[in-house]
Amino acid sequence: MKTLRRMSVAILIVTLAAMVLACGAQPYECTDEWGCAVFEAGETIKLAYVGPMTGDYSAFGVDISRGVELAVKDHGTVQGFNIEIIVEDTQGASEQGAAVANKLSADSRVVAVVGHTFSGSTEVSIPIYDKSGVVMMSPSATNPSLTGLGSSVFNRVAFTDEMQGQAAAQYIYETLGARQIVVMHDGGAYGQGLAGVCADAFEGLGGTVLGTEAVTPGEADYSAPLAAVAALDPDLVYFGGYDADAAVLVSQMAGAGLQEAMFFGCDGTYGANYLNLAGSSAEGTFSTYVPIPESEAFSKFRTDYQADYGQEQGELSPFSPHGYDSAALLLNALDKVAVKSGDQLIIPRKALADAVRATADYSGLTGNISCTAVGECAAASIKFMQVQGGEWTEGPGQ
Amino acid sequence: MVDLKKILPKRFFSRGNWVQPVLAVVFSAFLLWRLYRILFVEQIYGPDTWVKFAISGLILGSVYAVIALGYTLVYGILFMINFAHGEVMMLGAYTGYFTLEAFRGAGMLDWNWAGPIVEGIAAGLGASPDAATEAGAIASLVLVVLIAFVLGMLVSMLTAIGLERIAYRPLRQAPRLVPLISAIGASLFLQNAAQLMFGATPRVYNNPTLLNRDAGWTLLVGGEWVEYAGVTVWEGKPVLITYTGVITFVMSILLMVLLLILVQRTKMGKAMRAVAEDKQTAALMGIDIDRVIGNTFAVSGLLAGAAGVLWGLHMGRLNPIVGFLPGLKAFTAAVLGGIGNVAGAMMGGITLGVLEALGPGLLGMPFQLKDVLAFSILVLVLIFRPQGILGEVLSEKKM
Repeated sequence: MKTLRRMSVAILIVTLAAMVLACGAQPYECTDEWGCAVFEAGETIKLAYVGPMTGDYSAFGVDISRGVELAVKDHGTVQGFNIEIIVEDTQGASEQGAAVANKLSADSRVVAVVGHTFSGSTEVSIPIYDKSGVVMMSPSATNPSLTGLGSSVFNRVAFTDEMQGQAAAQYIYETLGARQIVVMHDGGAYGQGLAGVCADAFEGLGGTVLGTEAVTPGEADYSAPLAAVAALDPDLVYFGGYDADAAVLVSQMAGAGLQEAMFFGCDGTYGANYLNLAGSSAEGTFSTYVPIPESEAFSKFRTDYQADYGQEQGELSPFSPHGYDSAALLLNALDKVAVKSGDQLIIPRKALADAVRATADYSGLTGNISCTAVGECAAASIKFMQVQGGEWTEGPGQ
Repeated sequence: MVDLKKILPKRFFSRGNWVQPVLAVVFSAFLLWRLYRILFVEQIYGPDTWVKFAISGLILGSVYAVIALGYTLVYGILFMINFAHGEVMMLGAYTGYFTLEAFRGAGMLDWNWAGPIVEGIAAGLGASPDAATEAGAIASLVLVVLIAFVLGMLVSMLTAIGLERIAYRPLRQAPRLVPLISAIGASLFLQNAAQLMFGATPRVYNNPTLLNRDAGWTLLVGGEWVEYAGVTVWEGKPVLITYTGVITFVMSILLMVLLLILVQRTKMGKAMRAVAEDKQTAALMGIDIDRVIGNTFAVSGLLAGAAGVLWGLHMGRLNPIVGFLPGLKAFTAAVLGGIGNVAGAMMGGITLGVLEALGPGLLGMPFQLKDVLAFSILVLVLIFRPQGILGEVLSEKKM
């Protein structure tokens, strides 16, 4: 009887010990609100880039994707796991943006998105990513209302159009001396938003906005709306939209009767593509550019870009350093929250989104980056460029 | 008293249908009121702006007309809508682009080969040397542009024939919907093939210098009394009529006339009209159906190629999907004028172009909504007059 009791106690103790040991060796349990992405050994972590890779506006997508590629190359692996870049094409259209967002949300190995590139396609994708818990860092979506949607996943390193529109209105009024302008836009979220901000700011400074004219993007003939604008006889035409449409506008402006008027574009109309398409008509036109502070990292970025892609950084669009910083920020946050459990790598989604939002004093190419509570992480300022002698040079009076 | 029943179509009064007449009256009243307000009360645009709108509309309309001619020809004979027609136009445009680029690369874009010849002739005739130089330059230019046209039309013709052989001929016995789907598939295939071959970046036509898109005649329209140092002068406002625009308009009228002659006066045209009227009987009469249909597509391809090069020369902008929207609008134009009717396609095209350019201005609508206007017109025409404005069929003989 005594032996049996001793044996039962021994068995009990052994069982308890085994349970304690088993508890200690149990794999990491995912307690994250939005779930976790689990990667087995040998799998790659997917980082997506979404932008216009084909179509009229492909210069932007191609340029920013190169920034993302360089960032991933420079960063290396996350705790021994490789990063795979998935590039998705929106052709600049909002409908495609929604389709791509759904596609990426369905893939459980996509943990973060650098994107989207255009404000219109970003706007429609934010609720989709919110639902699936995929964190975003946009390099170039500048529409001011995007961070006001109450999203916990959307962040951006780009400046807002609130700032761009007001700075442009000030530059137009004070430095260029225009008093009567016509504001044009392409009807998209970005163009219309920016044009509205600029018009309001210009009127606030005391100028007159003679009219607002919208054009359909993608057309080849804007002579009719330009004739209507010419009837108003403005000093300057401000355009919110992208390079391909701006090129058609400047080519047809002189023929429609606007030879005397200046043309002022935005960050969407900057680039080599605009110069190619508009040719000599682009002479004297303006646009917005993001100057990057000189640093060792930026020199290295420029050299790497030239070496890998055979083109000068900043030729196609102003946003390749933003692409670099977006990807680098996301990877930085990944490093912080990724948990290695045995052979697996576990990435809790909400923790990742919170880590991205909590970025403070991060030294990026575009400057010292800190994210606000709503996801504004912009560091850089803007500058206005003018086409002189077929090249983009700094505009007067800056 | 005018007998309305004799003038208006029968359906207006069929079975007590009062909705359509009421709608027509309300709509016309609204339109007239808007026109009155814009033209006489508000007077936003001066006469020079209206002329600019009209010119822009006529030129755009003539491009739509040439593309619509291709649609209408194929529909008239096969009763099938060739949705890949826009892409055939795009390929013609790209060919023209590469031809001009080849000339430019060889430095021959402004090559004045005819100069010495013309000057020699002029010297012999005793004409002024300046006029001779200009004539020589123009003659050289004509050759370059003509070569671009011929090559563009050739490539489009070959594409159209290939399209017929591969995508449509095997489906000739199938129900009407099947070739339609095949056409859409062919259209997507050609768009993506062009994207793979030529890249997605937009390209711009580099015209010969004399044919620069900014060059043209300046017309002085309207204007006002302006005082210069005590003297009041009537100063007109300038309106630019570009050379490329005039060429586009003239070429499209020429092409329509040529097509009419082809369909009405030649043997091949007679065969086409026969096949359009009754395919089986025509076959029994000894007409080779396959050859006639092949010829139809060839002609429609030639027209599309011409439209493509004209588009490139005048509008300048080129990308793999450039054929999509004009193709759609041209189809609308063909339906508007009466599909299957050559003159109808031409009329429909010009009407649509003019409506798109003048419509937003006349109705006080923003220009952003011009596509809404264009397609609303299509819907209205289909409701009130489904056979189109000129509404006849290709097979009818007109003398």
